[in-house]
Amino acid sequence: MITTVTLNPAIDREYFVEKNEVMKNQFIYDHEDLKVYPGGKGLISAINFKALGYNDVQNIGFVGGKQGLFFEKMVQKYDIISNYIYTESEIRNNVKIIGREPATYTQYNDYTFKVKKEEVEELIVRFKRSISESECILMSGSVPEGVDFNIYQRLIKIAKNKGKHVFLQASGEALKLALKSEPEVVTPYFKHHKTILDLEMNDKEDYIKAGKKMQEMGAKRVMIPFHCDRLLFDKDGSVYQLSPKGYCIINWLGAGDAYNTGYLDYAFQTDNFDFLEANRRGGAAALWIAENKEIYLDDRKNYDCCLDRLEIKKLEG
Amino acid sequence: MSHVKEYMVRTMNSVTPDDSIRKAIILMYRSEQSVLPVVDHQNLFVGTIYSNNILKNIIPESFGFLDSSRLFYEVNEAVENLKYVKDEKVEKYMARNRDAVKENSDMKKIADIMLNNKESHLFVINDKGFLRGFIERSNLLHYLLDEAEDKRND
Repeated sequence: MITTVTLNPAIDREYFVEKNEVMKNQFIYDHEDLKVYPGGKGLISAINFKALGYNDVQNIGFVGGKQGLFFEKMVQKYDIISNYIYTESEIRNNVKIIGREPATYTQYNDYTFKVKKEEVEELIVRFKRSISESECILMSGSVPEGVDFNIYQRLIKIAKNKGKHVFLQASGEALKLALKSEPEVVTPYFKHHKTILDLEMNDKEDYIKAGKKMQEMGAKRVMIPFHCDRLLFDKDGSVYQLSPKGYCIINWLGAGDAYNTGYLDYAFQTDNFDFLEANRRGGAAALWIAENKEIYLDDRKNYDCCLDRLEIKKLEG
Repeated sequence: MSHVKEYMVRTMNSVTPDDSIRKAIILMYRSEQSVLPVVDHQNLFVGTIYSNNILKNIIPESFGFLDSSRLFYEVNEAVENLKYVKDEKVEKYMARNRDAVKENSDMKKIADIMLNNKESHLFVINDKGFLRGFIERSNLLHYLLDEAEDKRND
């Protein structure tokens, strides 16, 4: 079984309009112009794994209220095993309004979701018993209000004590604290500020410094998004740069999750793991999403064709 | 042949035998499920906790046969009883039946079990006994409707 963790899921609603204007009523008659889907980093990867043919994929996290039950139904539609702690607070709703002419993108991010201490402790208990069938756990995304930043640190510790591998995608304080539990693979993401471990990220040297610091703090392998590239830090101290060539990006949504899926899918399928090849697979999956309107992967064959457009060069080591 | 895995609801929503009745009740109303699977600390299915079983243990008269004049008294007594019962363990009130079905079971078998045992809700496990979700009468009806419409199309 593959386990993914999404602590702060959301119902994402996208509205497509001709022109997004303030103080103007908009009318949507076409289903194509209104999309409602379950969002959350770990969850998108779970849907990807299911699409790639994995039989049992579960998503662990919090959902709340009546909208939480609606969210859970949407997740189950993808044949994902839902494993949620039901909170008193309602789940988040993110609204995106996309104007066609001129091309505009307005996003209303909902940060109202709150989790109680009792609910956090319930998640810990549920997590302990739910990972017994999993070899690897993907933890990804932000931490809702009410949950202490050491949550990933706690979850990783539990997983490691049970001999599981952990892939972590996190940011800010939650990332910093999680490194103490020594996750195998770490990929940070930027939320409000372009910082990693409180360090400002401006040029490539800053990114390399941050990657090495994360390894010093406990991560075995690190991948850092660097514009459209990735900087890769292998456990032997080598640093690489993965770059896509000749691309045309039309969609960022789901690309990072596709990267994580492609990386782990390779890891699950091979007996002879190669860090660079895993990143090539991840990069190809992300590139396919970025060049398409899709959020989710649907077949390995689709992104295999992107492999030739990825270059890896060694920077250090 | 249609299988359970095509019609089931996939969820790990569950309690353990050492969880409190209070926790089971909160989970029941938040998830809108009046029956929950009980699993051990490895997520292996070990039994079922029914809301009816909890009610029967807190309402002294047989549940469902209260006359209106006694209802107020009975409800108050149930509240008093629940003050003690809520901290007791699920283990004490759960049914230790193992009437779970496998993901790969034939849907025709489910119809038999549900109709003969009058079960409205069956938990689904994999070959090793780990919980995978549940299947209920609405899922059975969904299957039967699919069959009916397939046959009509034939």
